[in-house]
Amino acid sequence: MNHDASTRPDAAAGQTPIVDAPSLDAPSLEAPILEAVNVTKSFTQDGTPTQALKGVSLAVAPGEFVSIVGRSGSGKSTFLSVLSTLLKPDSGELTYNGLDLARASEADIDGLRHGDFAVIFQFHYLLPYLTALENTLLPFMRGLRPVSGAQRRRGLECLERVGLADKGHRLPGQLSGGEQQRVAIARALVKDARILFADEPTGSLDSATGATVMELLGQIHKDGMSVVMVTHNEQYAGLSDRVVRMADGLMV
Amino acid sequence: MNILTIALRNARKKWVRTLLLLLVFTLGVVSIVSLNFVSRVVGEGLEKKLVSFGANILVSPKTEKLTVSYGGFALGDMLFDVTYLDEADTLERIDRIELRKNISVIAPKLVVMDRVQGMAVAIVGVRFAQEKQLKGYWDVAQGAIPGEEPAARKMTDGMHDAPAAAPVPAQNTAQNPTSIPAPIPAAASPTGLAQAPMAPLGQPLDTYRGNGVLVGSSAAAKLNLKLGDTLPLGKAHMVVTGILAPTGSEDDNVLLADLTFVQQAVGHPGKANFVEVAALCSGCPIDDIVTQIGAALVNVEIRTLRNIVEQRMYSVQFVKKLILSVSLVILLTGCSMVGISMLSAVNERKKEIGILRSLGFSRKSVFAIFCAEAASIGLLAGLIGYVAGYGVSFRILAVLDMAEGATLSFEPLHLAATALVLALLTSLASLVPAWKAAAIEPSEALVTL
Ligand SMILES: Nc1ncnc2c1ncn2[C@@H]1O[C@H](COP(=O)(O)OP(=O)(O)O)[C@@H](O)[C@H]1O
Ligand SMILES: [Mg+2]
Repeated sequence: MNHDASTRPDAAAGQTPIVDAPSLDAPSLEAPILEAVNVTKSFTQDGTPTQALKGVSLAVAPGEFVSIVGRSGSGKSTFLSVLSTLLKPDSGELTYNGLDLARASEADIDGLRHGDFAVIFQFHYLLPYLTALENTLLPFMRGLRPVSGAQRRRGLECLERVGLADKGHRLPGQLSGGEQQRVAIARALVKDARILFADEPTGSLDSATGATVMELLGQIHKDGMSVVMVTHNEQYAGLSDRVVRMADGLMV
Repeated sequence: MNILTIALRNARKKWVRTLLLLLVFTLGVVSIVSLNFVSRVVGEGLEKKLVSFGANILVSPKTEKLTVSYGGFALGDMLFDVTYLDEADTLERIDRIELRKNISVIAPKLVVMDRVQGMAVAIVGVRFAQEKQLKGYWDVAQGAIPGEEPAARKMTDGMHDAPAAAPVPAQNTAQNPTSIPAPIPAAASPTGLAQAPMAPLGQPLDTYRGNGVLVGSSAAAKLNLKLGDTLPLGKAHMVVTGILAPTGSEDDNVLLADLTFVQQAVGHPGKANFVEVAALCSGCPIDDIVTQIGAALVNVEIRTLRNIVEQRMYSVQFVKKLILSVSLVILLTGCSMVGISMLSAVNERKKEIGILRSLGFSRKSVFAIFCAEAASIGLLAGLIGYVAGYGVSFRILAVLDMAEGATLSFEPLHLAATALVLALLTSLASLVPAWKAAAIEPSEALVTL
């Protein structure tokens, strides 16, 4: 799909958080920032092929919070991985901000992952030998240029935002599951991503901790970030602008 | 904090592994570095020795000699014919060869055997100026080299005259240490040597006289010779003007006198037994020099000490090669250890790699992280190893008794080069694992089923 320069959504998304959010299940009227059309993906394991995605489409509007729900094995994680560029689809189109991701160079993709896209997982992936603050600052450690004072302050701010101001020096092993997940969220915040992809972010947390994480995601969304979340939890799904359902590799 | 932080933190967390690898590489570096230092010092020492070896080309007249030994005892050379070189002619001819510039010293010699205090002793006629050049290691313990002023002493002339000793027949049996010289007439002093009157205090000996003799340390001890002693030689007598400190060479056992004096005394004016030629320097065309001397002179035999030199050099080279190969084996072992441990680390760290890739770290960055980790081990091993190797060299040289006079210079440039080479080596060893790490797709690392 093509965007013409005047209708590019990026300008709007940055400054205006969605004030009047679209009602549940109603597709966004705005031009999508991210769009997947007819995506398929199959895996072959032990010689037997599995069609994980059988032609899935989704358009995410700037600033929109979309939940993907469905039974285990329905292809939610696979789809989220395709959306976040971590997995290449077999076929179908994927467009971000007018950029055809199927044809984008590796450098462009790296750039997206570094800047606009942020991913958090069920098992809050942190590097075990870096402190919470260092994990938060990881996006700034891509090259030889040292993390600047300003970046460091921003990291501390983000840690504070997720309620871990006093635990920045701790290693992941010294943090609870919820805290680790919040560090992962701080890492997404620090780079000022446009879209946050979350794969069952509360899946491994107890309900109280899960609630605080969901609260954080809600705030982030309110500040203008698009969120695409995979969840089992219908209640949490209800917090989003729109819920899409998957079953057996298809949208339903 | 930057990308290297990631590599270094991981190395720190896996400190046992890191330490082990560090140890292996440091060991390799220490052995190579100290080997280098020590072999350089030994080589330099050898070169110095070779130079102080003096002559390395020996020119002597062709003789019909038969060396006889029986039951392990050398019975000496059976001489059928003693031939002499004409000193002036020989020197002139050698002087005219094309490669003259490669020759530093030409030293003619006439050796005569005599019996002093009933002991056979060789008296060697030399040109002291040339001989001194040839024997840089000479150290005069007492007195002075004939014709020279003793150190820190004022010279006065003609303060003594040796009493006339009964003339002793010349012993012309040169080159024949075991030949029995004619007995010294009993009329001579019972010890075979006459005592010169003691020099009055403060009145040094006359070393300018042609009949001065320089006595080797062992000869002086065995014959109980002191400065000012006179010895008969042929129709003349000699005066001890100097005693050499031990040299560890044949000079310890002989008496050295001026060639002209010896020639006159034994009645062979202008003759020499052999000529020593010093052309010992690394890279001298010894073969060519020998060929040219051979062409310039007839009826001479030319021998070189090159073989000995080469053999010594060869054994040094051999030890060097041996240790070098051991060191290389150590380093190779270290490299494969790095490679293997990195390879398993790549599998362990799949998730980390996935996180980094999901955060926009390029394949190159991931590659760099793994290489940097290996390189940091190499770098550190290089630094520690060089410094330790430097220290170890001194210990080794001390054990070898070569510490003093050794010129080991700590060169920062070499330190840097060693560290860099090691860093490169370990990086190379981790090339395959790093490449594998870079090839990991974020999805295979992160997506949980
Ligand atoms: N890497 C993989 N290799 C093989 N099969 C996979 C892989 N990832 C997912 N699948 C299969 O694809 C289907 C969808 O999986 P997934 O997207 O994880 O579902 P969900 O997240 O909804 O539980 C499953 O049948 C799963 O077994
Ligand atoms: Mg899943």
